[in-house]
Amino acid sequence: MGGTLSGKVALVTGGRGGIGRAIGARLVKEGATVYAADLSQSGSLGDTPEGETRYVRLDVTLESNVADALDLIDRESGKLDILVNAAGIEIEKTIEHTSLSEWNRCFAVNVTGTFLTCKYALPLMRKAVSHGTTASIINFGSYDGFIADPGLAAYCASKGAVHALTRAMACDHGPEGIRVNAICPGYIDTPMLQAFFAGAGSGGGGGTVETLRDAVRNVHPIRNYGTPADVANLVNWLAGDEARYASGQLWILDGGLSAQVQQMRL
Amino acid sequence: MASKTGLDGKVAIVTGGGRGIGRAIVDRLLADGASVVTCGRGSRPQDLSSSVVWVQADIADRNHAAAVVGAAGENFGNAAILVNNAGVQVEKTVIETSDDDWDLVVGTNCKGTFNMCREMLPQMSEHGGSIVNLGSISGNVSDPRMAVYNASKAFVHGLTRSIAVDHGPWVRCNSVSPGWIRTAMVSEGFALARDPERAEADAVARHAVGRLGEPEDIANAVAWLVSDQASFVTGQCFIIDGGLTAASPLQPGLF
Repeated sequence: MGGTLSGKVALVTGGRGGIGRAIGARLVKEGATVYAADLSQSGSLGDTPEGETRYVRLDVTLESNVADALDLIDRESGKLDILVNAAGIEIEKTIEHTSLSEWNRCFAVNVTGTFLTCKYALPLMRKAVSHGTTASIINFGSYDGFIADPGLAAYCASKGAVHALTRAMACDHGPEGIRVNAICPGYIDTPMLQAFFAGAGSGGGGGTVETLRDAVRNVHPIRNYGTPADVANLVNWLAGDEARYASGQLWILDGGLSAQVQQMRL
Repeated sequence: MASKTGLDGKVAIVTGGGRGIGRAIVDRLLADGASVVTCGRGSRPQDLSSSVVWVQADIADRNHAAAVVGAAGENFGNAAILVNNAGVQVEKTVIETSDDDWDLVVGTNCKGTFNMCREMLPQMSEHGGSIVNLGSISGNVSDPRMAVYNASKAFVHGLTRSIAVDHGPWVRCNSVSPGWIRTAMVSEGFALARDPERAEADAVARHAVGRLGEPEDIANAVAWLVSDQASFVTGQCFIIDGGLTAASPLQPGLF
């Protein structure tokens, strides 16, 4: 049946999280075979996962886990066309308050995890290329890899590392037909964002969670938060053959937020 | 006079040196030992140092730009320093912008900078020189309702890199992009706010250094860039904004 990704095989890490689920569902809808990798069946969300993705238990920080997951895909599908590295965590602290183990955990998931899945996926992706098309790696950077939000130091640094890794891999593996891009989301409406508003995000202005949520929304030129489906739209395009010439780029998806100078309240 | 960055005997042209950031640059280059020529569309400001040569000129006009360069040659000799500071802004969206608005903003910010560089580059290519253009954080990220101004500053950034590439090794060319600098223009903005005190406090809170910039902050950067301390520095656009644009436009803690 003729989706744009029909016949392709995809692995989505963080595949049971808010954004990961939307990506998995979209890739399935477009005809891909999708492996949704996460720490547990329900991932970071409490409810039962929906959709027709194939769950793979995976801790992206463990090399043996990653090797096993890619081995499973190799045995079942024989290739990998699309790798989406959506697994990520954030530590909401300044560096003084960040312990070494928190720092290491942030880099282990966001940077080392991306390194490991790419490293073990490359041989499988070469097999996909040999079928006559490009393969596509889609990493998750952040607009915080360009400009900082306060109290997110380790997260900002880890996303900057993902940006540089994305460009480096695009240089190294472009000649093999493997494209590497990163999506850099801004404020996407997920349970993680709502938890942020309810917690550390509110404060200085003394408003309620609702006024904070509205104020932040209205700083966006688009006057809205992004949705996981918005991210899935871009993943879908970058994954497919229409994007065959797109590689080594950082795709900011933030409703115009970072296109502007800070908006003073005049 | 003690020289901070050693510009003794050098001749500098600073456009738009009558007030604000341009005046601070003129005063600083003077203090560092340079002979300075500056220009503006109006008549000579009363409080301008008597050693500074003033030329009444609109640099959007090629002949006026040539006259400014000529005045430097007649009074002091070949200029080795050019600071393209003159700039105007019109607070409008694309739809609201008239042909006259376009001509004013693009004429001064783009063509004026271009005119001055074109006049100066032949002699700089022979005798050496350093150009500093005033860009803006608005050339990288947008201020609302400043469409043509924002675009004009992006032009300045692009021209800066092109001159550095085309006219090295004898000419160095860099740009400095100010953020919110405390000038008359900014003070007027606060005065118009519904709650001026709160507006200023909000603006200050968005700066990592805890204050707005002063014209001297920009002059400090320009003085360094035109000095021999910066002899390996070319083709770059430096942001001097107290950390404003290093932070997200959203600082939820402020809400």
